[in-house]
Amino acid sequence: MPSCAKRFSQSLFALCLALGSAPAWAGNYAARIEYAELQTEGDTATIASQIEYRLSPVAKVALDKGVPLTWDVVMELREPGWLWDSVAYRSKQRYRLQFHALLNQYAVQTPQNHSEMFLTLSAALHFMASVRDQQPIPAAVLQPGRYYQLAVRSEFNREALPIPLRPVAYLDHRWFLSSHWSLWPIQK
Amino acid sequence: MKLPASASIVILFGFVLLSLQLMSSATQESSELGEMYSWLLVINTLGSVILLGLVVVNAYSLVRELKKKEAGSKLTTRMVSLFVLLALAPAAIVFYFSVQFLHQGIDSWFNVEIDRAMDDALELSQSAMNQRMNWHIKQTKQMAEQLQHKSETLIALEVGSLWRESGALELAVFTNQGRILASSSINPSDILPHLPDEQIWLQLKQNKEYFAFDPGDNDEMLVRIIVAIEADQSRFLQVLYPIPVRVTDLADSIEFAFIRYQEMNFLRDSLKTSFSLILLLVLLLSMLAAIWVAFISIRNIVAPVRELVKGTQAVADGDYQQQLPVMSQDDLGFLVESFNQMTRRIARSRDETRAAGLEVENQRAYLETILANLTAGVISFDAAYFIRTANQAAYRILHIPVSHFVGQNLPALAGLHPELADVLTAIQSLLEKADDIWEQRIVFLGPNGRQELLCRGTPLFSQHGARTGAVVVFDDVTDLIQAQKNAAWGEVARRLAHEIKNPLTPIQLSAERLQHKLSKELQDGSAEFLQRGTRTIVQQVEAMKRMVDDFSEYARPSKKQVEKINLVDLIQQVTTLYLPSGITFAMAAASQHVIVEVDPVSIRQVLHNLIKNAQEATAEKCHITIKIGKVTRNNTDYVEVGLYDNGSGLNADQIETIFEPYVTSKSKGTGLGLAIVKKIVEEHGGVIWVDTSYNGGAGFLLQLPVFEFGTMHE
Repeated sequence: MPSCAKRFSQSLFALCLALGSAPAWAGNYAARIEYAELQTEGDTATIASQIEYRLSPVAKVALDKGVPLTWDVVMELREPGWLWDSVAYRSKQRYRLQFHALLNQYAVQTPQNHSEMFLTLSAALHFMASVRDQQPIPAAVLQPGRYYQLAVRSEFNREALPIPLRPVAYLDHRWFLSSHWSLWPIQK
Repeated sequence: MKLPASASIVILFGFVLLSLQLMSSATQESSELGEMYSWLLVINTLGSVILLGLVVVNAYSLVRELKKKEAGSKLTTRMVSLFVLLALAPAAIVFYFSVQFLHQGIDSWFNVEIDRAMDDALELSQSAMNQRMNWHIKQTKQMAEQLQHKSETLIALEVGSLWRESGALELAVFTNQGRILASSSINPSDILPHLPDEQIWLQLKQNKEYFAFDPGDNDEMLVRIIVAIEADQSRFLQVLYPIPVRVTDLADSIEFAFIRYQEMNFLRDSLKTSFSLILLLVLLLSMLAAIWVAFISIRNIVAPVRELVKGTQAVADGDYQQQLPVMSQDDLGFLVESFNQMTRRIARSRDETRAAGLEVENQRAYLETILANLTAGVISFDAAYFIRTANQAAYRILHIPVSHFVGQNLPALAGLHPELADVLTAIQSLLEKADDIWEQRIVFLGPNGRQELLCRGTPLFSQHGARTGAVVVFDDVTDLIQAQKNAAWGEVARRLAHEIKNPLTPIQLSAERLQHKLSKELQDGSAEFLQRGTRTIVQQVEAMKRMVDDFSEYARPSKKQVEKINLVDLIQQVTTLYLPSGITFAMAAASQHVIVEVDPVSIRQVLHNLIKNAQEATAEKCHITIKIGKVTRNNTDYVEVGLYDNGSGLNADQIETIFEPYVTSKSKGTGLGLAIVKKIVEEHGGVIWVDTSYNGGAGFLLQLPVFEFGTMHE
């Protein structure tokens, strides 16, 4: 293998590592999954999770200046495999946070396209923190005798930002507001 | 299938333009391509990186070609540099001023007056909304006072009338436990009123009242006011007032404009960066694509020049078969075609010259062969009389190797070979003096004795009359002259024998008869006188007879009876005969087995003559040294016999004429001894000459063809 190709592959690996571990060095602004659980009621089950959102100062300023912020909360039921995990169930719920200057309130648009108004940002974030999957999971998804994991991630949608802000959001760590994937064992 | 370069370039520029157009469209807020903006940015950045890589690879390749000094690399570098300079300079200027203009344009969107106007407009909207809110609060509180201290039944009865009077959308009374006591709504389908949620309850508990603008179901704006009916907060009155559509629209419009303005103000720097980035990408993509295409195009343009340079180098190295491909029909193509035509002509001329050279070479070889086989020596000189060529015969005649001739002048050659100094000096003198063809006989004493050369010289002149050299042709006429002399002497001898010998016998007989007849008749004195006279006559006649016999012998054609004998044995037999006479011999033979094919009688006579010659030339005790060796001359083996005596030796005049008849330094003898020796030796194919290098007396060297020469041990 030529030395230049070797150096290139090493550099590429280092770059992938750096990008892959981006949330790790994103500071305190990444969202954090506090807990997640599978709640069963009869034959159906739902996923509930508690997320802590932490906005960076620049994200707060942008919000107050009218820039809407969007998160996609992704919930998965995974069956661990030898090489990779297979996804048995997946749901995505979008939350949109926006400031209404006229009313001086924060509006949260829920996955059901319903807007909730809040006088304070913390109240709005508190509202967004509690997530419950509205879609009940069919019993057939979870087969008895198998081991499943619950994976939850809150993904900050940079593509929903205004166009001029998007390149910056990909490069500036203050816009790294997504959480890691959090894995929770399912209690039997 | 390989696309032509021009098609590839057009496709590349098409992709670049499409990508840039898509990205430009994506920057518009309303565009559906907005979602692809990031991807387009990445694709364009990747495109720039790939193009940069291509340019770098091309530049690196060009630098390597420059270092290797490859043909056409300098021209390519100059053209690419010129193109980059010409393209980059205006592009950079346009980019700089575009960015400046863009930044100033964006900054001009925002100023203090618009900021204040926007704030004021929002504040005005908020005031209007708050005023409406305050009026509704007052109205609601009045309704709550009317319901104060009333039973649930009365409340249920009054709610309807209150709702109608207030013009509200919905009116409801509920307990602090959330139990609905009464409600009335403009929408009959709404059985249940819109009860407050947890947050509103929280505020209610804290503030005992709640008022806020709520978003309605159909994008309408509502005013929700909740006040406590009783002081103990056991009952609450909630009224939902509609906001007129016009007011809502105006408020929304103002809010939208304000938010948009605020957002743009906030994104001002990002906008500048974003637009600058796009401009930079446009510049980079365009420039890099142009530079890459320039590399390809310039390489294509320079390719014929490179081929021409290579072709010229090949021609300079002597490869005239070089034919270059004509890649285009333009001026360069014409140049390449001309080059091909030139190389073809050069190759043809070269072939013709080569053929002519070959012909000349053949002629020269032919002439050389003729010259080499000539018996006459031929030497050519340049203008400074340095020898240019000499043939084999020159070596044979002068006994100087050909390699010694070439490049030398005659005086230098005379210095190297002193024995030839006379003849060489004479030739040099004739060369310098003669302006025309000259002929001269030159006699000199060579290593093989006296030699006579017949020289003919021809000076050479150029077309302009300048002397360019000379040619000297010479032949060894020694043998010819000798043969002529011998023939003359033979004729003299024959005539002498014929004319003189015939009368001698009658003279002798007459003298004897006179003696016989008169001796008895004459007196003693006269008889004695007669006897002395007749005896003298008889003796002289005898002497004359012997002389005539010698002449006859010399003139008589040889009658050889050839046989193979051992020369060493023959010499020993002859020398043995002289031992009693007091001559001592010392013999040194390289071999005891020297077989020669000769007439033994003649050779015996040769030895006798030579030994006698030595004996007569030595005053005191005679000592003869005989050396027998082998020499090779003209690819023929000869036995060389040297006879050296201790006598008085020979002076220069004698050496020149000693082998001629009637040449003798002795008081007696006919002077034919050595002439006969030479004749016999030459009749046997040999030579004899005086060894001038020997100073202890006279020395003779004779060479005879040898049939077999044994080794020392034999």
